[in-house]
Amino acid sequence: MEAIAIEHVTKRFDAVVAVSDLSVRIEQGAVFGLLGPNGAGKTTSLRMIVHILVPDEGAIRVLGQSPSDRTMNLVGYLPEERGLYARMKVREVLVFLLALKGLSEAEASARAHEWLERLGLAAWSEKKINDLSKGMQQKVQFIAAVAHRPPLLILDEPFTGLDPVNATMIKDIMLDLREKGATIILSTHRMEQVEMMCDAICLVNHGRSVLAGDLRAIKKSYGKNTVRIEYTGDDNFLHLPDLVEKLNHFGAMVEAKLRPGADPQEILKAAVARGVRLTRFELVEPPLHDIFIEKVSEAHA
Amino acid sequence: MRKIWLVVKREYLTRVRTKGFILSTVGLPLFSVGIFAFSLALATRKADHSLKISILDNLGGLAPQILQSLNEKLPDGQPRFQLVRAWDRPASEKAAYEELTEQVRDGQLDGFLEVPKGIMHGKAATLHARSASDYQTAHTIGRAVNNAIIERRLSERGIHLDNLREVMAGVELSLVKVTKTGESEETDQSLLVQVSIVMILYITLLVYGVMTMRSVVEEKTTRVVEILASSIKPSHLLSGKILGVAGVGLTQYLIWMCTAAVVSAYGAAAGSAFWPGAVAPKLHLPISYLVYPAIFFLVGYFLYASLYATLGSIVSSEEELQQVQLPVTLAIVACMILCPVIERAPNSPLAVTLTMIPFFSPILMVFRITVQTPPFWEIALSLGICVATTLGVIQVSAKIYRVGILMYGKRPSLVELLRWLRYT
Repeated sequence: MEAIAIEHVTKRFDAVVAVSDLSVRIEQGAVFGLLGPNGAGKTTSLRMIVHILVPDEGAIRVLGQSPSDRTMNLVGYLPEERGLYARMKVREVLVFLLALKGLSEAEASARAHEWLERLGLAAWSEKKINDLSKGMQQKVQFIAAVAHRPPLLILDEPFTGLDPVNATMIKDIMLDLREKGATIILSTHRMEQVEMMCDAICLVNHGRSVLAGDLRAIKKSYGKNTVRIEYTGDDNFLHLPDLVEKLNHFGAMVEAKLRPGADPQEILKAAVARGVRLTRFELVEPPLHDIFIEKVSEAHA
Repeated sequence: MRKIWLVVKREYLTRVRTKGFILSTVGLPLFSVGIFAFSLALATRKADHSLKISILDNLGGLAPQILQSLNEKLPDGQPRFQLVRAWDRPASEKAAYEELTEQVRDGQLDGFLEVPKGIMHGKAATLHARSASDYQTAHTIGRAVNNAIIERRLSERGIHLDNLREVMAGVELSLVKVTKTGESEETDQSLLVQVSIVMILYITLLVYGVMTMRSVVEEKTTRVVEILASSIKPSHLLSGKILGVAGVGLTQYLIWMCTAAVVSAYGAAAGSAFWPGAVAPKLHLPISYLVYPAIFFLVGYFLYASLYATLGSIVSSEEELQQVQLPVTLAIVACMILCPVIERAPNSPLAVTLTMIPFFSPILMVFRITVQTPPFWEIALSLGICVATTLGVIQVSAKIYRVGILMYGKRPSLVELLRWLRYT
């Protein structure tokens, strides 16, 4: 059984079609990346899974059931637009939100305590939300989404505003929850996070799925057509329009997308000929970042 | 249902624990007890020193009779009025008048009573006093002059009385309202009661309506609302919110009613302990004055709170509220402006129509009941229309609220709002 099955779902707001004939399947226990440019229909899709919105056409199954008031308790949702009651105490907010997810208040209180401890916020539990830093508030919101141990977790940009230490902490917790059987839908614009964490993805654009499937398989289908080069010296050697389709500069590193059939050895030769010192020369699959841009701009063309 | 209860509880507790709630709940009764005590003190206040007066008697021979009626004593046993001089038929009326005026101006006198020659034929006596606002003194002196004149007239017709004051002892007029049920209700201070009831309804509808609206906007501006929407149906969230704020209002009402009960039960006793001989103003509240306002308040609150909550859901910030809330607030304010229409002619077609309009009836029907209780079927019809409208408004509000809480940015137009009603 899939954790999520979205079948030919369409959602309109007046003349605007936010989601159009979208079909997505998400395996249980997967970390699934829902990607797409701004306004692609990601939030609308997530809201339909959470049962905030209802599809106009098509069907959704969440853990084998149609979304309803009952499935709401099975889903932990960290929306992109999020916040907490500014003048309530941290513990009170958590108890309220967790109780709304179906826990008894005693249970909610115990879980809140346990998680505040785990995320290093125990000392703040009697403080008002207003007194917390942005990052701390983010962590409290994360607790509100996960502490009732939902089998399905929907996280929309969970790392924004977090420093590397906290981001790593959240990432480790996510992977730990996955170990324990939770299915996670991760929606983000940060492609490197998707590459690190996701098993499968769906890229939506204009409400339609333009690329979906297992992340490794997708990348493999593009083949090793990209060279990552780090070097010191003149970069003129990379001016090889016959071989290189596109160059991406990242400061210290350059990614060169090869033309079909081009031999990467030719680039190496050119570098040696110009006397450039290479510190890295690696043939890789295209980064998700490039696939994203390619797919999205294809649609615009 | 459990989730609605959680929302009710949160709304209730976070509001009841605020300083503002405690201040207004405790402050208002204290304030009204203060006003009550103050008015009690004022009503029973006796002058604390003797008033020095003179009598300029141009007719002659009236002063002793006038003085007979001015024999009140102060608490310390001193006479309240001290006659400095009874000037009987002065040589020059003008000179005497000027001299006495001068004495009042100097402060040698608190005032003087000028009795004109023609007083027996309807000319008015005049009290020239330093303070022209002491109605009680003026009233006492007026009665004294009146008694003296009557005694004089009687004696001119050959009737002599030693106990004129007994004969003249007045009768108070007590106004009694006859109602449909055949009981008569005292309407002492009925206007005061009517105005208080209407004011309380007006203030609470406004305050708690706006409180509901702010609560909706708070959840929108803090963006907690999407987390909530993933846990509870918007219509349940809205119901919980409205019920929670209603609970705050009822708590406040309850505290106030208990205070009022205690004050009216013990206030008079306490008052007379402080001011011996004080007569507490009678405050008689017929039961219909409590039951009808309570019913109409509840229905009216649900009506207006739904409207206010809807407004809260379509704006994105506190600032925008000021503009959108105006039409609803005006409807409540209009009730206050229309009250005099009801007061003048409570059974006129206009008054009947106004009290049937659901947005007005929570205040105007209650007011009309206190002015002159209309037939029961009219009250029932008015309440019925109001309840039906409220149920309809709640349906529409829930639909707009459901969409509005997730919309940010540009405020929707009326046409867009109508379209929202069709969203699933």
